[in-house]
Amino acid sequence: MNVVFAVKQYISKMIEDSGPGMKVLLMDKETTGIVSMVYTQSEILQKEVYLFERIDSQNREIMKHLKAICFLRPTKENVDYLIQELRRPKYSIYFIYFSNVISKSDVKSLAEADEQEVVAEVQEFYGDYIAVNPHLFSLNILGCCQGRNWDPAQLSRTTQGLTALLLSLKKCPMIRYQLSSEAAKRLAECVKQVITKEYELFEFRRTEVPPLLLILDRCDDAITPLLNQWTYQAMVHELLGINNNRIDLSRVPGISKDLREVVLSAENDEFYANNMYLNFAEIGSNIKNLMEDFQKKKPKEQQKLESIADMKAFVENYPQFKKMSGTVSKHVTVVGELSRLVSERNLLEVSEVEQELACQNDHSSALQNVKRLLQNPKVTEFDAARLVMLYALHYERHSSNSLPGLMMDLRNKGVSEKYRKLVSALVEYGGKRVRGSDLFSPKDAVAITKQFLKGLKGVENVYTQHQPFLHETLDHLIKGKLKENLYPYLGPSTLRDRLTPR
Amino acid sequence: MASLDDPGEVREGFLCPLCLKDLQSFYQLQSHYEEEHSGEDRDVKGQIKSLVQKAKKAKNRLLKREGDDRAESGTQGYESFSYGGVDPYMWEPQELGAVRSHLSDFKKHRAARIDHYVVEVNKLIIRLEKLTAFDRANTESAKIRAIEKSVVPWVNDQDVPFCPDCGNKFNIRNRRHHCRLCGSIMCKKCMELISLPLANKLTSASKDSLSTHTSPSQSPNSVHGSRRGSISSMSSVSSVLDEKDDDRIRCCTHCKDTLLKREQQIDEKEHTPDIVKLYEKLRLCMEKVDQKAPEYIRMAASLNAGETTYSLEHASDLRVEVQKVYELIDALSKKILTLGLNQDPPPHPNTLRLQRMIRYSATLFVQEKLLGLMSLPTKEQFEELKKKRTQEMERKRILERQAALESQRRLEERRSDLASRAANGEVVTLRGGPAPLRKAEGWLPLSGSQGQSEDSDPLLQQIHNITSFIRQAKAAGRTDEVRTLQENLRQLQDEYDQQQTEKAIELSRKQAEEEDLQREQLQMLREREWEREREQFRAASLHTRTRSLDFREIRPFQREPGREPRTQLAHVLDLGSSPAQSSAAAKTLSPSSVLEPISLWSGPPALGQEFFPQTTISQQNEVPSLNLFDKEDLSSPTAEGTASPLAAEPSFGPSARILKEYNPFEEEEAVAGNPFTNPDSPAPNPFDEEDERPHQSPSSPPVPGNPFEEATCTNPFEMDSDSAPESEEPIEEELLLQQIDNIKAYIFDAKQCGRLDEVEVLTENLRELKRTLAKQKRGAD
Repeated sequence: MNVVFAVKQYISKMIEDSGPGMKVLLMDKETTGIVSMVYTQSEILQKEVYLFERIDSQNREIMKHLKAICFLRPTKENVDYLIQELRRPKYSIYFIYFSNVISKSDVKSLAEADEQEVVAEVQEFYGDYIAVNPHLFSLNILGCCQGRNWDPAQLSRTTQGLTALLLSLKKCPMIRYQLSSEAAKRLAECVKQVITKEYELFEFRRTEVPPLLLILDRCDDAITPLLNQWTYQAMVHELLGINNNRIDLSRVPGISKDLREVVLSAENDEFYANNMYLNFAEIGSNIKNLMEDFQKKKPKEQQKLESIADMKAFVENYPQFKKMSGTVSKHVTVVGELSRLVSERNLLEVSEVEQELACQNDHSSALQNVKRLLQNPKVTEFDAARLVMLYALHYERHSSNSLPGLMMDLRNKGVSEKYRKLVSALVEYGGKRVRGSDLFSPKDAVAITKQFLKGLKGVENVYTQHQPFLHETLDHLIKGKLKENLYPYLGPSTLRDRLTPR
Repeated sequence: MASLDDPGEVREGFLCPLCLKDLQSFYQLQSHYEEEHSGEDRDVKGQIKSLVQKAKKAKNRLLKREGDDRAESGTQGYESFSYGGVDPYMWEPQELGAVRSHLSDFKKHRAARIDHYVVEVNKLIIRLEKLTAFDRANTESAKIRAIEKSVVPWVNDQDVPFCPDCGNKFNIRNRRHHCRLCGSIMCKKCMELISLPLANKLTSASKDSLSTHTSPSQSPNSVHGSRRGSISSMSSVSSVLDEKDDDRIRCCTHCKDTLLKREQQIDEKEHTPDIVKLYEKLRLCMEKVDQKAPEYIRMAASLNAGETTYSLEHASDLRVEVQKVYELIDALSKKILTLGLNQDPPPHPNTLRLQRMIRYSATLFVQEKLLGLMSLPTKEQFEELKKKRTQEMERKRILERQAALESQRRLEERRSDLASRAANGEVVTLRGGPAPLRKAEGWLPLSGSQGQSEDSDPLLQQIHNITSFIRQAKAAGRTDEVRTLQENLRQLQDEYDQQQTEKAIELSRKQAEEEDLQREQLQMLREREWEREREQFRAASLHTRTRSLDFREIRPFQREPGREPRTQLAHVLDLGSSPAQSSAAAKTLSPSSVLEPISLWSGPPALGQEFFPQTTISQQNEVPSLNLFDKEDLSSPTAEGTASPLAAEPSFGPSARILKEYNPFEEEEAVAGNPFTNPDSPAPNPFDEEDERPHQSPSSPPVPGNPFEEATCTNPFEMDSDSAPESEEPIEEELLLQQIDNIKAYIFDAKQCGRLDEVEVLTENLRELKRTLAKQKRGAD
């Protein structure tokens, strides 16, 4: 179930199958991102892939001494581009891979365009998603809904992405979805439809416990994304933004030219891989160790490398040193920028109040703290609005709810209209009326005891008290306690029905 | 039983423990058991049954392991780190995701289209051939026309009032023209001409390559060519007179197009651009490096360790060869980089990009591989290394002998200890007696230790043995013995179970432990070595050399006697320790593990190691240090460390088979190999320091801790090669040049990436190197 590996295997297979010789990789906009997430340039160079071209780029030269590996999404435009390409082939031979199911008619029109017989392979390789981490993928869709309903184009893209994921992992799952969300149900149905339609593709070895696809809607837990996070990857994403493993540092004051944009990939960066889920405080000490390590290895200018022996040692360590120097400067810059932002935006204090809003039920103290922070000039309008949103979500039905007062404070603080509107929009999006579950007051006895005990012990870290609702959902799922009336199965749900093929 | 006594035969699989019949599967074994041996004693059967179940469990575990291994090998090239608690390696093995091929569908559709196209082309070419088959220049126009009309029926003039291509009306001034290839009509403006050379080219090419035309996939290197040849023929179209076509054939645009496409294909097949030729050479060189470099590294490592397996000359030849290939790669990639740069219309940016990328990947390749190419010792160094190695071997032999003696002594002590402890138990005293006596007792499986190697695990062997003891004891009617034995059996089985689970953890821990052991041992060796070295140095270096050579000659003789007693010893020990095993299971395991290197049956050290801590404690309590060698032995790890490598040799036969399942084979080799190689690696260091220091401060001893850290490095060879040769002052010129090249490459690289500070440092280094080179040259002159 390693998505990075799954996609990487697909790409490796493509390159392998094309045999020796110089190669060009022909991609579209999306597949470029998909490939770049799993392969570095130098890695792919070693496999004789020297050029990377976009199928839609017009300025491609005829190079008949290259083999072309085409990795494309099966969209209408791509098929058209490919037909044009095959009519006037620019490369000697074409290996065509579609990232998802392609229609028979498209195959036919491609075949008819291939009069020069340059196509040697036409396959579907289901790497149709952006593999971020081994257990995390994304489709890079911004805004998939219109109101509460799916944007039809995005629904179809999401369905394609999910089915491709299932195929690349060779899983034919049972599907459960969040009952309170119409969107989740729609998506579940679409996925099911594809599985039924392409049943011969989904015939995998059956396992004792059938895999499960659980479709959840973000509106079930609107709290978590509002909180400031304190682990490395999450902070980088929250404060700087990660886009296909790339981080834009151009806004960092005094940034050097080659650090404008850096790549943080756990696949190639050991430090990142080891620290991405660690707390910010731990990162600090780890990066200090990294620096010290580096200092030891660094050739000292003043020492002047006296003997040939020094010289040789230096040269032999150089590639390693260079790699390390890249890693060190990158992480030092990123962490430095993070801590600058933390102090500039007063995030520690903000986060403490956020956590209080998310985890505790003391209304008067919470209100007081929010009010205090709204007066603080260091708190950005963005963070201020988020605090008010958290308050609004938590104390939506509280008897002494003073949201209007806080909204007033926001206005006085000069928070723009755009952000202030978000508060009511968010309550509408993820408020009690919508939520299928209660985020704040635990219902069953076990949870109450747990919270009580937690209160007794005191929290170890005030900034990481909050546990995402997802944690509880998954925990219930694993223990088989996830309620079927809240998360029903799509289709037959009894075990016997599930196991017998239909 | 018969085969148990036969030491030569090695059998494995699902053997029935009672009759040793080979059964194909566990279930068959079970049913065989129920049928054949149900009459036999219940107890034994129960034992065996549980044994089989355990074995099955163990097997499942092993299988699982195998699965993991496979997964690992499948994920080759997939570098992964711990992912902060999420370790994808722990996940189930993952195969390539689903795929679906549309190729057959695609081919079907294409074939229909292509057939049509191919037929069309071939028709045209056949006609063209007919049209050019006769001598046009010397034939009358009328006759030509007749022939032309016979090739293809011309369309009737009346049927076509307008030119089908441009739509102009035909009249006296705008006359009709017929395509000689398809017979259709067009006006003069729309008419095309095919020159005779082009026609010849098309017809001759099609004769020998019609077959390849339909399968371009089989000629992947077919390359793009230009249409230039045909363009020239088109330019003359306007000046053509209408009367007689001596050297060209009229045709329509469609036919001409088809033929031109065909021509292009022919051109592509024949033409290979320079870059492809160069690139092929480049790849060839890279392959050569991939072949030769590992071979050379093996040689260099061996030579730097002072071994004499390879000759120094051969290795340096190989080195030169590999380096030449590197130079070639460099030159070729540079050539590719600059290809066509001076041409008038500069190449397409993509071509340049391709060239840059090839150069870049070649640079990467050279950087990665060349730096792994360690240097060779000079002749003098090599002599020293050899000498040192001989001394090491000598030292090790002494240590081994000491260790063997020591372990024998310990064994004796334990035996007496056991004997005293079990004085009240008749059984133990009986079997605790000397070997011949025991033999007379006739516990058969014990007598031929090699014969027990059927099982893949020593514990399983023990379990087997004990089961057969039980049987024999029962037959003899000694109920008390049977009870003890059964107790043992149970414990053994528990142990086996537990051991399986711990094995994985143990393996890793053991490695760490072994490293520690080696380090300690090395330190001792090193210190002594150093002292001796110093003495020798004071005496005369010439003397040492001759002496070392002597040693080398003597060595084979010394080794033989050294080994023989030990094997005998092992035999004795084996016999002696077995009763101990059968007397108390907890005990049996521990002695066996300590003695394991010496005793034949107890298999790989990995297993024994598990019990190691507890036994050493008991050892040290029991064993008073009355020995001369107790300095080595008190720290029993040392003893074991030295004993194991050689001890592993005699037991190789049985253990090799045992090992292959969980593969500590390498481990064993590491144990065997490291003491040989490791002591060598710190050894050069004292030399180096001696070499350098005497001029400055002959009295200052090298810091023992310092080179030591190097010795603990996981790869002693590399350390060796780094430190040993380089400290020799006059560095080989070749090496220097190589370094200079490397640095140049780095500078180039750094410049490209715009890291100016690095460039500076590098340039400084480069200057330094060059200066040294010049100095050296001056010195040489």
